[in-house]
Amino acid sequence: MISSAVYTVMFYGLSAAVILLAVLAVNLRQLLRAALALMGMLSLSAGLYVLLHAEFLAGVQVLVYIGGIVVLIVFAIMLTRSSELLEDHPRPLAQVLGALLSMFFLFVAALALRDTRFPVQVQTGPPVDDVRQIGLLLLDRGATGYLVPFELLSLLLLVAIIGGTVIARKVAPPKQPFTTGGDARGETITESARTQRDIVPGEGAP
Amino acid sequence: MIELLARHSPGLPEWLTLCVVLYSIGLYGLLTRRNAIAMLMAVEIMLNAAALNFVVFDRFSTNQQADGQVMALFVIVMAAAEIVVGMAIVVALYRMRGTVDINQMNSMRG
Amino acid sequence: MDGDSGWMMQHAWLIPALPLVSFAVVGLLISPYWKKGAGVIATLSIVASMVCAYVLAWEYFTLYPAGGEHPILVPWSFEWLRYQPGLAANVGVLVDPISLLLMIVVTTVSALVHIYSNAYMHGDYGFGRYFTFLNLFTFSMLGLVVAPDIIQMYVCWELVGVSSFLLIGFYYNKPSAVAASKKAFIVTRFADLGFLVGVLLLSFYGYRIFPDWSAEVGAVANGLAGTQPVDFQYLNDPVFLAKFAALDTTFLGISLLTLSMCLVFMGAAGKSAMFPLHIWLPDAMEGPTPVSALIHAATMVVAGVYLVARLFPAFAFSGTAALLVAYVGAFTSLFAAVIGTTQDDIKRVLAFSTLSQLGYMMLALGVSTAEHTLGYTASMFHLFTHAFFKALLFMGAGAVIHAVHTNSIWEMGGLWRKMPITHITFLVATLAISGIWPFAGFFSKDEILAAALGSGHYVIFGVAVLVAGLTAFYMFRIYFVTFWGKGRGAGAAHAHEAPALMWMPMALLAVLSAVTGFFPMAEYVHLGEAEGHHGINLAVVIPATLFALIGIAMAASLYIGDGHRAVALAKMLGSVHQTIKQKFYIDEVYLFITHRIIFHRIARPIAWFDKRMVDGGVDASGWATRSGGRALSLLQTGQVQTYGLWFTGGVAFVVLILWSALV
Repeated sequence: MISSAVYTVMFYGLSAAVILLAVLAVNLRQLLRAALALMGMLSLSAGLYVLLHAEFLAGVQVLVYIGGIVVLIVFAIMLTRSSELLEDHPRPLAQVLGALLSMFFLFVAALALRDTRFPVQVQTGPPVDDVRQIGLLLLDRGATGYLVPFELLSLLLLVAIIGGTVIARKVAPPKQPFTTGGDARGETITESARTQRDIVPGEGAP
Repeated sequence: MIELLARHSPGLPEWLTLCVVLYSIGLYGLLTRRNAIAMLMAVEIMLNAAALNFVVFDRFSTNQQADGQVMALFVIVMAAAEIVVGMAIVVALYRMRGTVDINQMNSMRG
Repeated sequence: MDGDSGWMMQHAWLIPALPLVSFAVVGLLISPYWKKGAGVIATLSIVASMVCAYVLAWEYFTLYPAGGEHPILVPWSFEWLRYQPGLAANVGVLVDPISLLLMIVVTTVSALVHIYSNAYMHGDYGFGRYFTFLNLFTFSMLGLVVAPDIIQMYVCWELVGVSSFLLIGFYYNKPSAVAASKKAFIVTRFADLGFLVGVLLLSFYGYRIFPDWSAEVGAVANGLAGTQPVDFQYLNDPVFLAKFAALDTTFLGISLLTLSMCLVFMGAAGKSAMFPLHIWLPDAMEGPTPVSALIHAATMVVAGVYLVARLFPAFAFSGTAALLVAYVGAFTSLFAAVIGTTQDDIKRVLAFSTLSQLGYMMLALGVSTAEHTLGYTASMFHLFTHAFFKALLFMGAGAVIHAVHTNSIWEMGGLWRKMPITHITFLVATLAISGIWPFAGFFSKDEILAAALGSGHYVIFGVAVLVAGLTAFYMFRIYFVTFWGKGRGAGAAHAHEAPALMWMPMALLAVLSAVTGFFPMAEYVHLGEAEGHHGINLAVVIPATLFALIGIAMAASLYIGDGHRAVALAKMLGSVHQTIKQKFYIDEVYLFITHRIIFHRIARPIAWFDKRMVDGGVDASGWATRSGGRALSLLQTGQVQTYGLWFTGGVAFVVLILWSALV
């Protein structure tokens, strides 16, 4: 009884906070503040996981999202620092259209939700050992296991690391024509262009 | 009061509504933000909503397996990978064009 | 074929195949790399083909000796095109006296022209190309001659047209040659349209009548099982012709047989340059002179005569068509002879003379009937002799032009001393064409005149005799002007005898022109029973020879010396002379019809319609597509968020539809 009531309160409270923070995160002009709101939203989502008895996931959420992703975003914001870039000024027309479209989407999804009868409605109790269960599933080679996706995911991470490093590298490899694929300024870098590299904006800034 | 609260403890529809609302907010951000980094942040919100959805279904299914949580885990990992590549692209883009304003990336205009 | 027929008979396909192979080899492999070799190899192949033709003739006439029956053999053939069961076109070799005659004429003249050309074209830029085309022509002509059915005839008919086009336009950087080749091609194509319609009519009704015919004649029992409805043997069969002529269907009151024969004759008239389709032949003299000798005098232009001869039973059966042939032939003969008396270009005089002689052959064919077939023999005889002396005349003219570098007879003169061999051979040929005993032309012309008289066509006979006189006149006119008197042009002063490669073929032809008249043609070429050579018919010989001698005398009186009498005569005749010299303004009439009427009244509105309506429609659709694309391209903003908007909206819309469908 009590726990149900607490559950209810917690759910609505957390939901409200998460939604508020998400709205802030997509609306704040100052990007750093938006990132901060995102961080809050993600950590409160971890609270929602806890509410769903997914404690392991909550830990992962905090570690990966807050420890990794948000930090990365903040770094990126600071790397591309420039007075105009720290802010975001959406166009009013885009805002109206985006709002309308999201509302429409929300409306349609809500309609679908209302009319869908899911086969299960009862919240069951927590499994005995959540983490153990996840670990077993991840390493299960059987038809219901996730070994192959798990391994593929590790490969994906590796690719992402390498790709990120390559893309974000500072200098284009010498002697190789580098084009941006039809970009106006992306002619093949010739000898003369390479000598002018220093005047490219953002290049060489400490 | 407590009884009232207990009686209205959230079920599957409430949880799913939360997910949809979060997803729509993310969508709004994706469609309106001009800054590439902010767009990626909106994408993170959407991914988070999706992960939450998985966990909700995991919890509300009779299946005692933790498949939904595994999926959420995958989503989180993919979000991490995505943000790594995305941020790398943003940095490279900024270095090359001096801006991360998505409205100026229109070299594909017809 | 039966086992006792000879080797050559079984391999008769070699005769056209040799030039074809040589054409491909010389054209593709040799002429780009080895100019001299092209001439040698091309010549050798024709000589080989000539030898084959002689052996074939010898074998045939050993099997079927002179004076007896001369059946039509098809020793080699295969099915080439099957339209439907019971209607197929064969490709093969047909051997009978006239095809052998033509084979011998074509290969002999072609071989001599090839030899002659090796010297005449020496050093020419297009030496290899020239021999390639010459080989192509020889192949096509031989294919035409040996055609066992009308389809192969038509295909090769067009092929000789193409070779003629290519060779007339051989000097393609000379505008007049290009114009002449186009003119020849278009005029003969126009005539071939009639031929094609005739072929279609013949094969359509031939195919319909075919089952009846084979039942009636017992085709299978009589060994005619392989006959196709387009074969000449079938088309000339009296049973078929009777059925065809008896068809109820008529066209403007003309029976279909006559109609199709007239249409076929239209093709023949185009190729043989009968009036009024003759306008291309004088212009065709723009080609190299040996080409004129081979194609436009001795062989290709007689293809029309040959076609009429090949279908002679059908023409004779129709009667009306044969009469048309006779009158067109007679008129052309007179018409061309009159023009020939006034031309200044030596090759043009010879061209008009060719026209005139072709008219002779045609009239001989036209006056003969199924009962009175002397004209048929006479026509083939004249074709035979004419090929030699006309080729010789052209070669002689070529030698003169080669030496003097001009075509105008008024810039020549006095050449007999400088070019004795050419002079003698030219004289022989001139005597032959004028019909002076004992040269070849005398006998063949004599036979034609006898045929005209014997068939009772007295008007045609009169015309023919008159033409004989005119022929002698204009031929001796150019002979006197060219070889006698004093040298007039600069070229004439420095003329020299032609090289041996040129005069040797000429000498050979001169011998042939002199003696072929004694060949007993009637023993070999005849329809039905052989009519014995009628000997000298004084009623024919006396007027013909008399007129010829008058012609010679007039030419001598007018043109020996400075020719002031000729000038005076021309002045006296005034506008008449001018009209004749301008070829009766036929070219101008054609120009008027084509330019003023067809181009202005018909082609221009069609062009307008095409440009405005058809092209306009096409342009409009292109414009609509382009502007639609431009409008749609506005959607491609390049803004990823615009795409996102569309995409999300679409997804939401699809979800909405799904939801409404599911609920």
